[in-house]
Amino acid sequence: MSAHPPPRDEVPGVAGRPRRRWWTARRVDSLAGYLFIAPQVLGSIVFVLVPLGMVFYYSLHEWNVLAGTFHFVGLDNYRQLAEDPNTPSVLRATAFFSAGLVVLDLALALLLAVLLNQKIRGIAFFRLLFFSPVVVSVVAWSIVWGFLLQDNGGVNGILHAIGIDGPNWLRQGGTSIVSIILVQVFKNVGLNMVLFLAAMQGVPPQLHEAAQLDGAGAWTRFWRITMPMISPTILLASIITIAGSLQMFAQVSVLTQGGPGNATNVLVYYLYQQAFQFHHFGYGATLAVLLFGIVLALTLVQWRMRRKWVMYEV
Amino acid sequence: MRRTTVLRALAAAVALTTTLAACGSGDTPASGGPTTLRFALFSSNPKQLALLNGIAADYHAGHPQVSVKFDSIPQDSYTATLTTQIAGGQAPDLAWILGGAAPDFVSSGALAPLTDTLSRNADYQYGDLLPNATKVWSGGGTLYAYPFSTSPFGVFVNTDLLAKAGQQTPAELIAAGRWDWTALASMAAATAAGTGKAGLVVRDFDYKNWYQLATVWDGWGAQAWGGDGKSCGFDKPAMASAMSFLHKAVFADKAMPGPGTTADFFAGDSAMTITQISRASLLADKFKWDLVPLPSGPAGAYGVFGQAGVGVFSSSRNVGQATDFLAFMTGPANSLKLAEFFPPPRRSQLTADTLAKANPLLSPAQLQNVVVNGITNGVPQDSHTNFAEIDQTVRAALDPLWQADADVTKVLSGVCAKIQPLLNR
Amino acid sequence: MRSSLSARAKVVLYGLLCVLCLPFVFPAWWMVTSSFKPIGDIFGYPPSLLPGTWQLSAYRDVFTLQPFARQYLNSLYIAAIVTVGTVAVSALAGYAFARIRFRGANVLFLVILAGLLVPSEATIVPLFQLFRSLHLVDTHWPLILVPVLGAPSVLATFIMRQFFIALPDELEQAACLDGLGRFGMFWRVALPLSRPALAAVTIFTFLQSWNLYLEPIVYLSTPDKFTLPQALTQYVDSYGGAMWNVQLAASSLTAVPMLIVFVIAQRQFIQGLAHTGITG
Repeated sequence: MSAHPPPRDEVPGVAGRPRRRWWTARRVDSLAGYLFIAPQVLGSIVFVLVPLGMVFYYSLHEWNVLAGTFHFVGLDNYRQLAEDPNTPSVLRATAFFSAGLVVLDLALALLLAVLLNQKIRGIAFFRLLFFSPVVVSVVAWSIVWGFLLQDNGGVNGILHAIGIDGPNWLRQGGTSIVSIILVQVFKNVGLNMVLFLAAMQGVPPQLHEAAQLDGAGAWTRFWRITMPMISPTILLASIITIAGSLQMFAQVSVLTQGGPGNATNVLVYYLYQQAFQFHHFGYGATLAVLLFGIVLALTLVQWRMRRKWVMYEV
Repeated sequence: MRRTTVLRALAAAVALTTTLAACGSGDTPASGGPTTLRFALFSSNPKQLALLNGIAADYHAGHPQVSVKFDSIPQDSYTATLTTQIAGGQAPDLAWILGGAAPDFVSSGALAPLTDTLSRNADYQYGDLLPNATKVWSGGGTLYAYPFSTSPFGVFVNTDLLAKAGQQTPAELIAAGRWDWTALASMAAATAAGTGKAGLVVRDFDYKNWYQLATVWDGWGAQAWGGDGKSCGFDKPAMASAMSFLHKAVFADKAMPGPGTTADFFAGDSAMTITQISRASLLADKFKWDLVPLPSGPAGAYGVFGQAGVGVFSSSRNVGQATDFLAFMTGPANSLKLAEFFPPPRRSQLTADTLAKANPLLSPAQLQNVVVNGITNGVPQDSHTNFAEIDQTVRAALDPLWQADADVTKVLSGVCAKIQPLLNR
Repeated sequence: MRSSLSARAKVVLYGLLCVLCLPFVFPAWWMVTSSFKPIGDIFGYPPSLLPGTWQLSAYRDVFTLQPFARQYLNSLYIAAIVTVGTVAVSALAGYAFARIRFRGANVLFLVILAGLLVPSEATIVPLFQLFRSLHLVDTHWPLILVPVLGAPSVLATFIMRQFFIALPDELEQAACLDGLGRFGMFWRVALPLSRPALAAVTIFTFLQSWNLYLEPIVYLSTPDKFTLPQALTQYVDSYGGAMWNVQLAASSLTAVPMLIVFVIAQRQFIQGLAHTGITG
């Protein structure tokens, strides 16, 4: 937090008063700050923190919704988490999914933003095409892709036409998670693309022109000028994408239901299964606490590391 | 500053938690005023809703203080939504329940007992209910949910495709007494090879919903688990031969499309499909078809049906009124109306004559052979307490089976290793 | 980057874009065209690019089977209120966190940030209990209050904060000398400059509200109050099977306003940023 206006409490008080007023300009400004954030902070307490506290409270209980039983069991659910044979595979799938999604999503979004940041006829139309999946309902999108990724589906049909024998995408451990990542990337990369596009248009053209005069090629200019200049946007996009990657389950639910085996059973889907399908609310709450902890840790790490690679302070 | 803020937030959270958790129960019972019963169901079909609303209106005419509101919840999120509402202390008064979840609802005490109310009224003809249809909905001799829909599985056949491949029709095989799984599989393989379409599709199985395979393995006398629910049946010899048969049909004979391959019977893409007779409504005039019973297996003839029940939540403030409405809705007269969509579990109504009115597409012979015999002699699909978790565990453990080079016995004993702890619970 | 490209580079660029856009366009194309197909043809193999016979009956069914117009209106007005509310709440909070110095700002920001990290599946049960105790179940309030004040608006606050942080100090110093108070600086100086960020927030928020799925299903039980994603799931035949052509027709209808919002907002968003010369 560097770019603040200078403190204003040096503004002199009305002459003749023996003491400074209690309501100094600085205090007034602070009050304004508190008022500005009040709706958001109060809302967060009521709709985020309190429910979160309750989820933590539930995680210390054995709660069978159907039988209507609710017993305090201490840390039993956390012990179960440590002993659950599914925990390692769920965490592995989650890590693979999030890492793959973030890398592919950001890389493709950057590529598209570069391609679409040209002044040529019809570019707005192409922007619309790449953005359009964002507005298609997740469920409809997943169903179409589930159909296309069948063993005898459209994707393998195209691959076959160019002489490649495609895999049975959704039915094999390795390709199933890759398929889900790709389906999600195509669905949502438009959002990051638009963010990057906006950031790139904000890079002052003089910088590029000067570098060009110095003989820098397009590749060098991209890495030396564009990337540093849009690095704050990349940070923002990566935080949003990671948080989002850990929170979505419609694709898993429609395309694989966690299978084959447990290959695509990511944490949020497992949480949903335990709480809503298996009726283990206490254990589901424990998984929610775990999920929250993971996202929190990742976000804090990104936030800390921003000084290392984000060009200017945010 | 930092610490106190966090602490205060936590304190507030805990305070609110306890007050909210405390108010989750303790609702006052309804007084004599007007009551609206909330009825959760997983159909949003206008015709079915019109029928149900009609029954509710009839009931309202006789009981002006009671009306019924039907809440359609999508089937995909049905259990989750119901669970959230129960957890939030706002369970509906009545709800449809999916067959697989029956033991959970019956054994948990979530449902109010029905037997007393239903058997008290002679007009209800409680004894008319088929015991094999009410079995999974009962506990300790008490009925907790009424099996309003009992829909048997049969084999739909595209006779055009069979003729094109030069195959006999199942009807001819039945007449000759040779309608068994071996014959079916070879017909399916020959038709697939001869027409380029798929042979046999076990509908909704999709190499995920393994419990649909009961329509196959019951012919071998195999079971997912024993009658006590404790002993795993996947590693028994009967299951091994049934699954080996299936595996061979899929991967060696190509009698069934492999995993990840769609073939919709009703679009004309497969020669045969095993599904519930209620799907007959999907038939168009695209091709000639027939409906025949499941073929016999090494263990002889068999039948399988899927079910859905309707029950009253014991947490409801209006248990008495809700149970009374349930009795009205499922009595002989209304059961006959419901038969338009849902085959009734009543012996007296389970005749080809009665069913013909509701299923104009099916011939009396088809109704008699598949529906009447299928329900009277059939068994319900597998169910178990904690079914959803067992379901997922079996699905994950069975996945390796659906590879061309799978070791059937090894996979099956792996299934048992995984689910035995769940069955023991 | 802005210099005009050679003819050859243009051909390459167009070709590349055309190939790349296939996985983006085909599913949407399939969704729209399949809504005109007879239901039996939709999952026929191989998939067809155009309907063999065009039929409009699915679009008629969309409106006869459900109070779809009413549900459309519900979704529109909820999304509009949520968007306006979120923009207001997040612009104020984002501004304060970026430009006003007050005690506890960092801690409070972290408190809010928690919202970005909580999946809605995790907190739906406590929230349902909260709204039940307030007798707001089966009303639209949970679908408005939670997004505006709860977790979903945090992303908006985050975006606004990132934007306001990058505003040059000089603008506000000048405003301060002109005697503007904090709200004046926010309203007259910062907000007008933040059009691109507001456009981003508008797109994100409208989309999120428009696509909300789990919450309406859990909270709402009267068809007249349903929102669109929930309504889509209600087009099923007598046996719970999806009426695909009707579902796809309804899906196509729900995608249209979002494309319009994007077309309008993207000009503001992309070009607005370029004008202010501000990134991030």
